[in-house]
Amino acid sequence: MKTPLLEIEDLCARVADKEIIKGFNLTINEGEVHAIMGPNGAGKSTLSHVLCGKPGYEITAGTVRYKGKNLLAMAPEERAREGIFLIMQYPVEIPGVPVTTFLKHAVNAIRQHRNEPELDTMEFIKLLREEGKKLGINPDMLKRPINVGFSGGEKKRLEALQLAVLKPQFSILDEADSGLDVDAMKVVAEAINAERTEHNAMLVITHYQRLLKDIVPDYVHIYADGHIVASGNKDLAREVEEQGYAQFLKEK
Amino acid sequence: MGELVQKVELMGSDLPWLEGLREKGAVFFERQGLPTAKTEAWKYTRPRDLLADDFILPPLEEEKENACTCGEHCTCGHHQREGEDFPLSAYVIDFENGALEHIAHNLPRGVTIKPLIEAIYEDDGIRKYLNKSFDMEKNPFAALNTAYLEQGLFITIEKNMRLDKPLALVHHSFSCHENLMFHLRNVIVLEEGVKAEIVEYYNYSGNEKSRYFTNIVNEIYVGRHAELKHYKFQDEAFKAVHIAYNAVKVKGEGRYNGFCLQRGGNLARNETRLSLTEERAEAEINAAYIMNGWAVIDTTTDVEHLAPYTKSTQLVKGVVGGQAKGVFQGKIHIAPMAIKTEGAQLHKALLLTDEAEIDVKPELEIYNDDVKCSHGAASGELDADQLFYMRSRGIGEEEAKQILVDAYLQDVLEKINNQDIKDWLAAKAKLAK
Repeated sequence: MKTPLLEIEDLCARVADKEIIKGFNLTINEGEVHAIMGPNGAGKSTLSHVLCGKPGYEITAGTVRYKGKNLLAMAPEERAREGIFLIMQYPVEIPGVPVTTFLKHAVNAIRQHRNEPELDTMEFIKLLREEGKKLGINPDMLKRPINVGFSGGEKKRLEALQLAVLKPQFSILDEADSGLDVDAMKVVAEAINAERTEHNAMLVITHYQRLLKDIVPDYVHIYADGHIVASGNKDLAREVEEQGYAQFLKEK
Repeated sequence: MGELVQKVELMGSDLPWLEGLREKGAVFFERQGLPTAKTEAWKYTRPRDLLADDFILPPLEEEKENACTCGEHCTCGHHQREGEDFPLSAYVIDFENGALEHIAHNLPRGVTIKPLIEAIYEDDGIRKYLNKSFDMEKNPFAALNTAYLEQGLFITIEKNMRLDKPLALVHHSFSCHENLMFHLRNVIVLEEGVKAEIVEYYNYSGNEKSRYFTNIVNEIYVGRHAELKHYKFQDEAFKAVHIAYNAVKVKGEGRYNGFCLQRGGNLARNETRLSLTEERAEAEINAAYIMNGWAVIDTTTDVEHLAPYTKSTQLVKGVVGGQAKGVFQGKIHIAPMAIKTEGAQLHKALLLTDEAEIDVKPELEIYNDDVKCSHGAASGELDADQLFYMRSRGIGEEEAKQILVDAYLQDVLEKINNQDIKDWLAAKAKLAK
């Protein structure tokens, strides 16, 4: 029997006066990896932002339940503490805040929420170095301000490092492959695959099929004009790669 | 108006010159009155609360019992202070409710710290410095301070002394009496070649709604080749008025390095008027402020370059929340003969709310061409994307804001050379107390 982790029903959302998500439905069970593919401008990033609680979006209809709870009523930090994690398309630069400082705050906020003891600085540095090593992250990078002067590959490695230390149950990958060379993508995909368990689930949002060769989804959905227009298994991704999105847009 | 000057008998009333000086202070204060919106030097920081005119001097020791109003828990005048002691290793001088309480016993030879009134009675050198570093006609609160001249210190540090620890002037306010005013005068003389650090700490630990008025004048003389590092942490009660005037004179190749963190008070002003009087004198004046509610916190500087090859730099950074207002007025004056001088000034503020305000007035007066001089001002807000990024990693909103504020203030705090003091002030520069 499958346990639903995320249940989205008839979700509608807009930015300012523009409707972006229009009647979106999707249920993701524990252990599943879903991919959402769609043309640029379909509102894929909006979907990831709405799920993470980014301010600036108005939900006009529908519900989202996460572990049975009303996700939309939760602040972004509560969602994160409950295990939702977004690998961002364009990770933000934060001058003056070293990676280590930032991640220590984040890890301890989440541990506190789970009633686990806070990590002291030594334990934390050790954890960060170990996980960083797997991702090819130089310890010097951990002392630098978050994402400032990082290459596209470094930024994504840092996102993957956060995934590894924050241990979310539900991860959203928003165009995780943008700005990555092939090697960096392999490393990041490995880190992401390492988090696949029978309890964890993922939503991979992407324009290209490329990433789905490394992170193989259980289900693929085609997203256009604010909702899902077609669903299938991983073969659907290949079909899109070969024939483009036009056929799905026409059916509508 | 004018009731801030009251007929009270102060110590030293038997000294005609002192009484004459106090009288002069009272006259100069009354002539100027409290600053109004038309007073240029105070145009952004109107001392509105002082108009209520109900401030009184602290009761004398023998009157304390009768004057006490704090109710059943009071064992007056034996209130014990509850605030923290000075947390760092230092030669500590404690003041309680505006009165000198204790001077460290173990002062090194060559450092003399006397109660001001004692130094006045002894008349052993203080008159060369007392009231000699500023103009009462232009400074109403310094004039008022002179009218009440009694409390404070005369600090002298002999030639070539290097202090191993800072002197810490710690002001504990915790009185159960309301509407007190404290007028403090410190005369600080560093002779040639001295290296010293002085910390001023205004620490409030009484009823959180207590209202009082602290009025401080520091007269600071930095001798040739001497170096003073002057740190201040203003953490008064949120309804308090705190007005401080630092008159600093720096001689040839001397160096003054000031850092002031302000966090308390309903209205607070830290003003530094500094003169580089001889060749190659240098000054650095840095400050940070962090505020909420309806407070007004003012940092005012006036640096005079009076000699060639003098140098000054200033960095002031503020974080303004609530409906508070930050004020920075910075003036650099370069005299005609002060060639090859350098003066730089930068103010930056982070506004946390739409109602928060800053007023900035830089002024340059340059009377020769052979100088390097700059000033700048910038203000910004917290970056919404940065905040969201941190929150999306589980960090609470307030904590995320604090992390960004810490990052914002980092460069100005880095100006503090003393690591212990830097850590102490960095830990105090927080949005929530």
